[in-house]
This record gives sequence, structure tokens and C-alpha cells, in this order.
Amino acid sequence: MLEVGSLVDGKYKILNKVGQGGMSVVYLAMNERANKQWAVKEVRKDGVLDFESVKQGLVAETDILKKLSHKHLPSIVDVIDTEDSFIIIMDYVQGNSLDKALKEFGAQPQEDVIEWSKQLCDVLHYLHTRNPAIIYRDMKPANVMLKPDGSISLIDFGTAREHKAFKVEDTTCLGTRGYAAPEQYGGMGQTDARTDIYCLGATIYHLVTGMNPSEPPYEIRPITQVDASLSTGLEKIILKCTQNNPADRYQSCAELMYDLEHYKDFEDEHIKKQKNKIKLFASSAALTLLFLIVSVWGLCSAKGAQKENYDYLLANANSKTEYYETILTDPTRTEAYLGTDDFDGLISYLISDGELSAQDSSVLAQLKVGIEKIGSGGYSSTVDVLGQLKKSDPEGYKQVCYEIGEAYLFYYNIGVAKDKYQTASSWFKETVDSYPVAKIYCDISSCLQNVYKYSKANQTAKLYEEYENLWNEVVVLHNEADDLEEDLKIQVWNEIVGMVNNNCKEFCEVASKAEINSLLKRISSQASTVTNTFLKESVSSLQSNIDITLSKVSTVESN
Amino acid sequence: MDFIISANTDIGITKDTNQDGLSIKVLNTPYGKMSFAVLCDGMGGLSKGEVASTTVVSAFNDWVYNELPALCKTGITDSAIRNQWENIIFKQNRIISTYGASQGVRLGTTVVVMLITQTRFYIMNIGDSRAYEISDTIHQLTEDQTVVAREIKLGKLTPEEAKTDPRRNVLLQCIGASDNIYPDMFFGDPKKNAVYMLCSDGFRHEITSDEIYEKFQPDILANTDIMCEKAEQLIELNKQRSEQDNISVALIKTI
Repeated sequence: MLEVGSLVDGKYKILNKVGQGGMSVVYLAMNERANKQWAVKEVRKDGVLDFESVKQGLVAETDILKKLSHKHLPSIVDVIDTEDSFIIIMDYVQGNSLDKALKEFGAQPQEDVIEWSKQLCDVLHYLHTRNPAIIYRDMKPANVMLKPDGSISLIDFGTAREHKAFKVEDTTCLGTRGYAAPEQYGGMGQTDARTDIYCLGATIYHLVTGMNPSEPPYEIRPITQVDASLSTGLEKIILKCTQNNPADRYQSCAELMYDLEHYKDFEDEHIKKQKNKIKLFASSAALTLLFLIVSVWGLCSAKGAQKENYDYLLANANSKTEYYETILTDPTRTEAYLGTDDFDGLISYLISDGELSAQDSSVLAQLKVGIEKIGSGGYSSTVDVLGQLKKSDPEGYKQVCYEIGEAYLFYYNIGVAKDKYQTASSWFKETVDSYPVAKIYCDISSCLQNVYKYSKANQTAKLYEEYENLWNEVVVLHNEADDLEEDLKIQVWNEIVGMVNNNCKEFCEVASKAEINSLLKRISSQASTVTNTFLKESVSSLQSNIDITLSKVSTVESN
Repeated sequence: MDFIISANTDIGITKDTNQDGLSIKVLNTPYGKMSFAVLCDGMGGLSKGEVASTTVVSAFNDWVYNELPALCKTGITDSAIRNQWENIIFKQNRIISTYGASQGVRLGTTVVVMLITQTRFYIMNIGDSRAYEISDTIHQLTEDQTVVAREIKLGKLTPEEAKTDPRRNVLLQCIGASDNIYPDMFFGDPKKNAVYMLCSDGFRHEITSDEIYEKFQPDILANTDIMCEKAEQLIELNKQRSEQDNISVALIKTI
């Protein structure tokens, strides 16, 4: 161990200890005559297991080392062999090592790292091109000094050999190895220039990401995965440097230097590619938008044309075929069925003569199976017009069904009440959740079906049970009618009176005559309050029906 | 739950020093019996490896006597064990690195340490020593922190290739020779009538886990004498098969 204040080789006065490696100590020394600072590195012989081999290596290389002269290398001016140590005198490099910078500040700015990498590449190239080639083998941030002027210097040179002779059998630890390339573990071929390139790649990775590849997760990941703002050009360089197989790496520092100098070109190329992608995307997006506008415009004008067409056809419709044609023009509209303020719809058209004939009924029944449409090529196809309406306008669909149901109920004079109700209820059942009255009609229909069934089978008990149901439904229907328009009310009252008239005897069995009379009289008094003069005729007809029915009930009573 | 324990170590056939260190004990606490074991493998390639292993073993023994009683009172939790053990190894890493630097030598050690209480076991591992659980099967509790184990995990090496890979003796980290240490922790519930085994890599290079299971089945290891005898037999088997390293094994049987 050198004493502080002692004089080495009669020239170098030891000032203080500045560093300590595994087997060496570095001192700051002063050449007092030349007034220049030097670094004195003492490699202690007892600290090195196999000092003879180290010494031989050192002595053999001393001459070469002394001749080395590079701006990024401290020059070695003297190597002194003493009894218990080897003393190397070299330039004193001021500054901090890069591993200190990493510890203090973490990842280093990319621009700086690229600049340092170029300098390191430069100095490695210099070493590799000596004759014989010198392989550094221990590139790591701790061995790179950052000088006050911003340039770097590779230190710890010339003694690297001391711990390079690993024995495979011995357990050792990654932490002591720096970023050893796979071939440095032995058994995988010789170490050469490409070994230094591997270690430089690992060093760049550590500097630029702040992540030590010899600490968990022990791997060199693409740097943009660590920090997306890093250069993809640099990422490619690092990955090529650190390939496991030396043949896949840069084969010389000159190659690496070229790429380091042009990493921005890769970057530019990359960005250009990205820009092209954006352009492509933008133009296809613009086209999409254009097409969208054109198709919306087309759709709107087609809609307009269709509407015009529809309104024209409806205004002039005066036959089943013309109504069908109107419906086909736009099955999603309800006007062709229900009519407008100015024009009749199909339903009003069919009942305009005061009844729904068997022929009219078939026109409505056709709607359910679909209307034939003759295409431009002469081919016909069936259009499910009600299905389309139901899909696009469920409420409109229900209204249409309800009105058709009413048309059957009030204007269909074919067959018996049972059949009329059955047909009507096939339409009403579509509308029950929006029209409470429709539900009652459906119930009445099912009562009538049952009455028919039981009377056929002579099941008297059940039959009267069903009449009781029917009577109850009739009462409910009467209550429900309160909310209806006056003209509809009269139709419903007519229906009720007709129902009582038809089933007079049976109702007298399931309800008291007083109840029946009271219902009829209430209808009569309600009807007398109708003021609408257009309905006068209907009211008087209803009143006479009530009178007939009342007397019929009294007949039953007298029996 | 009660414990019986044993420990064996052997210098092996080629080394001049035994750089393995271990300590094992059964503790009587007001909170029930516990067993503690620590095993360190000083770095063969590094001079004075035995200094590193012994230092770490002592540090953990100190913890058992000085810290564990207090921890028992406040309650042993996974995180408390992790914190305290990490602090021990961070401190030991600094001490050993500093010692190495002052002596101009490089030394290091692995460590596997285990505490079994009535309800839980706690294991910390750095390096390539291992902990096993032997009940009706044999099950390795720790993962080796070696370059080849990592390469196998990454799918870059097969277990067969790993045996001859030149990097097979390279640890990812060890106490005393790494700048930073990232220990693995394992926690679990101890089984009754099971054998927990800590061993250095020398113990398991040349013999298979089936051979270990055959000798160390819980029903066979009835008392400490039998445990030592069976361990001795396996150490001899290792030596016959030319194992180069120091060989150490510590056994805890739960009953």
C-alpha cells in the first residue's frame, strides 16, 4: 500500500487515494518538478490469485500500452515493478464516472449518450486496429469518465486482464462481471472486437434507459418499450450490438460508428414511414367522409323523391291496387292505411260504403301475407309491408292493426258475431299493450269461441261459466268506453246492446235482470247526452235498439 | 406442531476450504415452537468465501436472538419478515463489499433462509442454494438465481443444454459482489409430517430429486440420528459421483 505523501520512483508524490478497484488502488500523485498531476494505479501482488500471469500479460503489453495515444485514453507513461506491487503511472482524468451519473440522475439524455457512444466507438476502433489488436473486454459505465469539457475517457485500462481469467468450474456472480458477452464465459469461442461491441451495446442500453442489464429482469429489451420517446434508430443499433451470436453483431467499430452517426437517418426513415402511414390514413379517411356525404345526400334525395311519390299516389288512390302501390312505395309510413286529414286511407276507403264486405276483408287479409311487387325486370316478389312497418314504426303498426280490428268489429257483417270477433281479435292481439280496449275485444272473442265450443258439446255448466265471463267483459267494455271519442262510444254501445240482445236469455241466468236493465238504461242515458248533431241518427238507432233489448229482457223475466 | 432438525456439511473432495456456512435451530417462544435455518454458500471462485458465508449466517443468528422476540410480540407478518431480512442482506452486502475492497479481494455468498412458525413458513433466497418441501412428493420451493435458470425460463436453453453451458456456475446476484440485491421471497403454509430441506448447490448437482425423496421421506426420518445418517449417505453418494464443491444440507421435520 502506498503511503500518502510518499514519493514513487523519485518523481511522483502521492497526494491522496481517489479510487479502489477489486485488486487495485488509484492515487492522485503530483510530479513536483513538472507541476503536473498523475494517476498512480497500484496493483497489489498479494491480492491477485494468479499474479504471474497478470504480470506477464502486463509486461508484454507495457510497451504497446506506453505507445498508445488517443484523446479518449489516459496515456500510460510508466509501469514500475516493485516487490509487492505493480505501479502504473498515467494521466489523471478529472471528472466523474458514468455509473455515478447513472446512480445520481438515472437515465441519461439520449443526445449525450449518442455522443459518448461515438467517442467510445472511436477509442475502441483505435484499440482494435493496433497490431496486435487490443480487446478492452470490460466496457461499462464505471470505466468511462466524463470529463469537465463534456468528452469522455476510457479508464482502468491495461489492468483489465487481471480478472479476465475465469475458471468455468468456479461459481461466480454476474454482478462482478459487468456486461459480459456470452463468449466471455468461455467455451463459446474467442473473445474479439465483437466482444467489446457487445459490451458497448449493453453500456449504451444502461445509459439511455437507466436499467442495468445485469440486474433484474436481466435482459436488454427494445429501448422504446422502456421509454417510448427514445429513438427507434438507436434501438436497432443496441439490439444489433447485443446479439448473442457474435456473427450477428456489428463486425467492426467502423460499422457501428457509421450507424451511430446516421441513427437519425434510420429515425427519419422511420418517421417518413410513419408519415406515409398517416398520409395514407388521412386520405382514406377523407375519401370515407366524402363517400359518406355523397351517400347521405343520395339517400336524402331518394327519400324526398319517395315521399313526393307516396303523397301523390295516396292523394289519387281510388282502388285497392292504387293503395297497395302507395304502401309499396314506402311500407314504413302509415298514411296509406290510416289516411290523412285530406285523403282517405285504405281502411276508410274500404268501409266508405258503410260495411266491410268479404272482398274488402280479403284486401286486408292480403296485407298480412304480403303484397306482390312487380320488379323492373318483370319478376314479382312478395313484400312483407306490415313486417317492415312493425320494424321501423312499432306504434304506427299498432295503430294500423287497431283500426283494422275496429273495421272488422263494427263493419264486418259476414257470418256470426263469433267469427267477426275472431277476425277482429287477430288484429287486436297485436295492439293489446297500447290499447286496453283491444284486450277486452280479444277476451270477448275468446269467450265467444268458448261459448260456441261448449254449446256444441252440450257442456252446460262450462257454457254458463263462459257466459258469466262474457257478461263481465261486456261490463268492463262499457266502463272502458267512457274514455273514447263520441262516435266510437256509440259504436261500442251498439256492440254492447247487440251482445245483450243476442244473449239475452243466457245473461239473465248469470246476472240479475236488474243489473242488465241498469246497464242498458245507463247506456241510454249516456247516449242521450251526446250533442253532436252528426251522430243524432246513430243515437236514435241505438236508443231504439236499447228499447228492443229492454223489452226482450223483460220477456225473459216473465218466463 | 413440533420440529426435529439436523445439519450436515462436508468439505468435498477437491476444495481446500469449506466455504459453506449454516445454522439451524428450534425455538421455544410463548407463541409456539418455531424452527429457523440459514444456509450460505461462499463463492468458490472468490477468495475468502467462507468469510462472507459466516458473516451472513451470524447476522441472521443475531436477528433470531435480537429481533425475532420483538417481532413475535407485534405479530409476524410476511411484510415484516421481508423488510427485516432485506435490511439484513442489504447491510451485509455493504459490509462484505467494503471488506473485500479493503482487502483487495472479491468475495460473496449465496443465502437461503427459512423460518417456520406454527402457521406459516417464510423463505428468502439469493443465489443458487435451494429449499425443498418433502411430503408425499418432493417440491422445490425456491428458484435458482443463475444465468442458466433464467435462460431456461426464457426458453433459450433446455435443462440438458444448461448442464454443459459454460455459464452454468454464474449467479445472477450474490451478497457481497452485486451493487444492488433483489432477493426472492417465498411464503406458504407449513405441512405437518413434512421435511423442509435447505441445501447448497454441491448437495444436488450429482443426485436427483428422486434420490433425495427416497432418503428423506418424512416417515423414514423418525429422529435426528436417522436424519443425519441419511444425509451422510447422500453426501457420500455425491462424493462418489465426483462432486467438486462443498456439500451442505439442513433438515427440518415437522411433527
